[in-house]
Amino acid sequence: MPESIPSSLVIDELKNTFREARAAHAAEVEEPPQHDHLGWVLSVPDTHQKTVLAALDKEQTIRVLTCSTEDEANAIAAGLWIGGEPVALMIQHAGLYASVNTLRGVAIDGRVPIFYMIGLLQREKDKDPLESRHSMVRYCEPLLDLFGVPHARLEGPDDVHRIGEYYRLSRQRKGPTAVLVGLETI
Amino acid sequence: MAMRPEDVLKTIAEARGTAICVPTMTTAPAWRGLAPGDLSVTCTGFMGGASSIGLGLALARPDRRVIVFDGDGSLLMQLGSLATIAGAAPRNLTHLLFKNGVYHTSGAQNIPGGDGVDFVLMAKAAGYRGGFVIDELDELKRRMPAILTEAGPLLVELRTTLAAETPMTARGGVPFPQQVADLRTKLLRPRAAAR
Repeated sequence: MPESIPSSLVIDELKNTFREARAAHAAEVEEPPQHDHLGWVLSVPDTHQKTVLAALDKEQTIRVLTCSTEDEANAIAAGLWIGGEPVALMIQHAGLYASVNTLRGVAIDGRVPIFYMIGLLQREKDKDPLESRHSMVRYCEPLLDLFGVPHARLEGPDDVHRIGEYYRLSRQRKGPTAVLVGLETI
Repeated sequence: MAMRPEDVLKTIAEARGTAICVPTMTTAPAWRGLAPGDLSVTCTGFMGGASSIGLGLALARPDRRVIVFDGDGSLLMQLGSLATIAGAAPRNLTHLLFKNGVYHTSGAQNIPGGDGVDFVLMAKAAGYRGGFVIDELDELKRRMPAILTEAGPLLVELRTTLAAETPMTARGGVPFPQQVADLRTKLLRPRAAAR
């Protein structure tokens, strides 16, 4: 059975992931860093991850930018990545569906590494997402598969390490990757 | 009186210094002739994204000016970006809006609202630090230093004629992923490339 993940675990993993990304970046490029913070979260607010967003509001080392649409978030992420900044997107499945052309044009065709944390709003605790009675839950993984986007489920605290793993994978493959947040974070 | 977009772009190319430029749609063919291989990335394949790429670059690189060459039809596709940009408030972002009232690339159909849409008013209402209209080349040349140094986000609505070429009539140029990789390399200077 899936379990809710405490927001502190998600944020600690994001911080570790960004810290590691900054160190790797510093070793690879001549250009000195422009910022003191660890990285950016681009969010189109997601009910499923609202406790993480609330906690990030108090977090000084991660900058959060709320975007009007997921299309924007994808393109802003591209600009940040080109400029050398670590970035993650926090959206929900409906936002993924709304922004598939930008996912294709920016992350896939543009070969821009974009890491998504996607909340599965209305995912039933006792059902596999692929068998959900809600199409917004059921279609998420098949859509990612259709576009060739590697993805993993965050089904509980033991899966938090997938955040770093899939962030690094997006950089390695220069393209999109995603983790799916199964239950509302706490 | 409307300006030729090619003349506007030439004026920008002469004044932009080390600014990063983000052209899109009908500014792309002329720009790649004026500024080949420079600090630019063309928004292509996801219409409406230029202002957001520009925002990301401006946030990542506060040491440089970022100039977006947006279109009126393009901006309408992601109009919410005005609020997102205003919220982020990058002081180094100049948002140039090439306003011709039509979707030129797809056959010059009128944009919703035609020439009556007031983008300056919308940008200011969203929270941009400044915005104004320019419809004469002499005025653009006179105000260009301020456009490139005033605290942004700044939206300048440029009244233009149709461009001589569109991405459909002048295909080619460096593919988007290569532009992305090239700009990243120029901005970050990978150690192997720097040696």
